[in-house]
Amino acid sequence: MITVSEITKVYDDGKVKVQALRGIDLEIKKGEFTAIVGPSGSGKTTLLNIIGGLDTPTNGQVTIGETNIASLSENELIDFRLNHIGFVFQSYNLIPVLTAKENVEFLMLLQKKNETERNERTIKLLKAVGLEDQINKKPSKMSGGQQQRVAVARALASKPDFVLADEPTANLDSTSTANLLDIMLQLNEEENITFVFSTHDQRVINRAKRVITVEDGKILSDERK
Amino acid sequence: MIFKIAFKNIWRNKLRSWVVITAIALGIFGGLAVISTATGLTKMRQENAIKTYVSHIQIHDSSYVKFGRLEDEIAKDKEVLEYLHQQPEVYAASARLKVESFIQSAGGNAGVILNGINPETEKRLTSISELCEEGNFLENFKRKPPIIISRKLATKLNAKVKTTIQCSFSDPQGVPITGVFKVVDIFSTSNSMYDEFNAFVRLEDLRNLSGIEGSHEIALTLKDDQKVEDFRRQIIDRFPKYQIDSWRGIAPELGYADKMMDLIMTIFLVIIMLALAFGIVNTMLMAVLERKKELGMLLSIGMNKKKVFWMIIWESIFLALIAGPLGILSTFVAVKIFGKYGIDLSFAAEGLRSVGLDSVIYPELNSNYYIIISVLVIVTAILSSIYPALKALKLNPAETLRTA
Repeated sequence: MITVSEITKVYDDGKVKVQALRGIDLEIKKGEFTAIVGPSGSGKTTLLNIIGGLDTPTNGQVTIGETNIASLSENELIDFRLNHIGFVFQSYNLIPVLTAKENVEFLMLLQKKNETERNERTIKLLKAVGLEDQINKKPSKMSGGQQQRVAVARALASKPDFVLADEPTANLDSTSTANLLDIMLQLNEEENITFVFSTHDQRVINRAKRVITVEDGKILSDERK
Repeated sequence: MIFKIAFKNIWRNKLRSWVVITAIALGIFGGLAVISTATGLTKMRQENAIKTYVSHIQIHDSSYVKFGRLEDEIAKDKEVLEYLHQQPEVYAASARLKVESFIQSAGGNAGVILNGINPETEKRLTSISELCEEGNFLENFKRKPPIIISRKLATKLNAKVKTTIQCSFSDPQGVPITGVFKVVDIFSTSNSMYDEFNAFVRLEDLRNLSGIEGSHEIALTLKDDQKVEDFRRQIIDRFPKYQIDSWRGIAPELGYADKMMDLIMTIFLVIIMLALAFGIVNTMLMAVLERKKELGMLLSIGMNKKKVFWMIIWESIFLALIAGPLGILSTFVAVKIFGKYGIDLSFAAEGLRSVGLDSVIYPELNSNYYIIISVLVIVTAILSSIYPALKALKLNPAETLRTA
């Protein structure tokens, strides 16, 4: 379970102070398919980054399972992310010099998994996202939708507790968006994988099982479907 | 995987990588080419000096070295020569009588050292006989005793083969002596200074003329030039009363040239490595700044800083590993080719001769330099990529993903 308690975040460049989050409290349970929605600048990406340990809150704390991530050193936090959190980014962010298979395999290599396990899981994941025939293609030879599906497979490769996806469909057409959502919902339902999105894409919001609306750094509503 | 990514990363911008690789390779080639040419020059100068006037070792009476008097002969020159000829290390040994003389012909005069030599043994010891224009190394003559002078001296005296020359000097008692010689051949070494002040006559002719029975100098060369110092000590033990010097002691300027060459080589190596370092720092810094977002992503998804750091270092090492062998290989080929056929600098022959050099230079590079350069290239690549790698480590993942 992810527990977010009294989180505030102030960006201060020495001249201007911007309050991005104003006391957020939140709990996300195992197996949820949650969308954090809100207009641009509402604080949803900041919230996602803080949950993922990519950014630190000004006040408050994030607990994942039993771990208060603020208590981790920089290197421990990187290891924690590797083993517990999967990331999907808006602009895919695959490693351009590696093939789809190598991109998915990459996190397992960092986890020092053996070759057999790596191969089996990579093929299984690429099959799950419908890219078993694209395994040797580099990102530059794939469409945006295909790249994002590889990114989802990569995020799941390390067997994370949950996947954080920052506007995963922002650069995709409607067919690719629908495909991607189908795949993620299927993984959520069949393998009980927790997904947390930040999005303002209505197509994602429509299919999310829980929608948390953020505006001006505060939670406006939290609806479960 | 880190190696694989690092290697693939350097080919993202092929043009830039090839420009850097070419620059590094050319730097190595240029530096080593200069070093090999300079080594060739130094070695040629040493070899020329050893072959013409220094030899590996010279033996004198201690007083002769100090005062240069005619009477300071090597007392037991025959015994010394006999001993030397029995030693398996010795390639050639010959005795010389040296007299400072005033020499004149109908066309001019000059001050020279008359070297009384044994043509048979001297032929093996020095290359003067090979440098005679007509190949007559004091062997063919009629009535008058023969003399060989250099082309430079011949010009000064307005002399040629068959010209009669008069040599004047004082004997050990100060009595003036004059001898008449006939020029039988003319030589030219690669050292115009030496040529100007040396002439050769037969040892027995000069002994007869001066009344000196012995010799002032015994010069010798060894079969193995690496054993000079060991053999010198051996002769010192056997003949402790004589002054026995190796070529480094006789012509210290040749040794200094060696040391100076070491210094020049060190300076060149530093320049090459600095150029290499700047090239790598520039390229890797650009590569890091261009890939901020990707590096941020790698840190985000769980690649630790140590691995990111080594990925950047390996990219530099790969650049150096491609450029280094290219530079070293091209140098090796060039040194092999020019080492065999030489670099013809005959347009500057006169200037080169004045410092004891031939006009064709044969570059040479000690194989140690290839090893030293290889190691230095890798070390420099690692050191110069540390700054860009540290720069990558300072990236904030959230910041780079948001702004890059």
